[in-house]
Amino acid sequence: MTTFYFGRLVEMFPFFLSGLWMTTKVAFISLIVCTLIGFVLGMLRANDTFFFKHLIGVYVALARGTPFVVQIFIVFFIFPEWGLQLEPFPAALLAMAIMGSAFICEIVAGGIASIPKGQWEAAASSGLTKVQQLRFVIIPQALKVILPPLVGQYVLLIKDTSVVSVIGVMDLTRVGWVTVMRIPEGLMVFALVGLLYFAISYPLILLSNYLERKMAR
Amino acid sequence: MIEFKGVNKWFDKLHVLNQIELKVQKGEVLVVCGPSGSGKSTLIRCINKLEPIQQGEIVVNGMSVHDSATNLTKLRTEIGFVFQQFYLYPHMTALQNITLAPVNVKKIAKAEAEKIGREKLDRVGLAEKADAYPAQLSGGQQQRVAIARGLAMSPEIMLFDEPTSALDPEMIGEVLDVMVSLASEGITMCVVTHEMGFAKKVADRVLFMDEGKIIETGKPADFFDHPQTERAADFISKILSH
Ligand SMILES: Nc1ncnc2c1ncn2[C@@H]1O[C@H](COP(=O)(O)OP(=O)(O)O)[C@@H](O)[C@H]1O
Ligand SMILES: [Mg+2]
Repeated sequence: MTTFYFGRLVEMFPFFLSGLWMTTKVAFISLIVCTLIGFVLGMLRANDTFFFKHLIGVYVALARGTPFVVQIFIVFFIFPEWGLQLEPFPAALLAMAIMGSAFICEIVAGGIASIPKGQWEAAASSGLTKVQQLRFVIIPQALKVILPPLVGQYVLLIKDTSVVSVIGVMDLTRVGWVTVMRIPEGLMVFALVGLLYFAISYPLILLSNYLERKMAR
Repeated sequence: MIEFKGVNKWFDKLHVLNQIELKVQKGEVLVVCGPSGSGKSTLIRCINKLEPIQQGEIVVNGMSVHDSATNLTKLRTEIGFVFQQFYLYPHMTALQNITLAPVNVKKIAKAEAEKIGREKLDRVGLAEKADAYPAQLSGGQQQRVAIARGLAMSPEIMLFDEPTSALDPEMIGEVLDVMVSLASEGITMCVVTHEMGFAKKVADRVLFMDEGKIIETGKPADFFDHPQTERAADFISKILSH
């Protein structure tokens, strides 16, 4: 019996690969977007002269303090009522961007805050602008603090992409659900799904550990 | 060159600068001393706008420091600042520390900036340390690199906030020597320090602060040997007994 289903599973392997591809696409695009937005917000948040420091604080608290599945429902089902109707794929990316940026913003702001105030002052005293202070003096030092948890966050975000299946994106998780309806071998199906997720995240886990050790020196 | 006109500053309720009137002439070497917490750091940090003020005006080279219309970059390129804790950039070599601002603020070509940087390093006696990172240098060497970094913008004014207080005693001399040679070259200097020897040797004037006020100013010999106020006398006897 199991052998029979295993044969079916092998037949369906291309379907799994398409799910893997979709998951990779959602993860890759949203990680890039989250990183860009997260860094910009983190830098603004670490800068006490910006009045919207607290605005970012509220956004971060909301995005971090509510379940991602709720957020994605809001983007997909509620945003249309406010005039923003999106297909599942862009809606998934938008929801990922909103959630992921908030986490990365906090990591970046924390890294920047760990740099002594005197480094800012030394750079400011020599005439560098705020942006130059960040770019040449603060960020290069803060990256040591930022990188290990950032890569760790990437792993979490990749796993969070599985939630996009609830709005109909045909990612790895949804492929698993669809397959289970045809092959009643749940364990085998989801073991394969899990293995494929692991194949993407494990290298990043190794990278995070490596960075952690390297930066500690 | 530097003028304080009725300057007042508060940290919340703490009146940290109280009605400061002060003129520093071009080429003058001013030593600022006083008990810890009297507002010395705050006083010199206001000169390059590391601190805001609430009342009065500070004018440097004709520029009103706290006027938002003043070009802050220009103001700061004319003033070098040396911190007690050095604050060298740890991810850059000594030479990179020095050339960062000339290249990015003054837009001097990299090769030219490096030439100037090496000259400044030579001037503080560290020509051979151009490629060393701060962590590879002693405290005294780091502070000398920090001075060279300040000099790289060819400022007319150098501000020093207790430049030798964080150093082991055996390294104080090498830093003071550099500062003495600067003083003899006509750079306007404001130095917060308790180094009486330095003050007597090069200061044109000593300024004594307590509780945010300028209590007394005078020629170093007069101030240290014949203080006019009890508070100053008290302070001097304390630093002598150390
Ligand atoms: N950023 C700050 N916020 C609040 N209080 C401060 C700040 N910086 C300094 N102070 C206080 O102002 C007073 C003067 O400080 P400072 O100028 O550093 O004195 P000094 O350099 O003479 O030791 C001290 O009481 C200090 O605690
Ligand atoms: Mg001080």
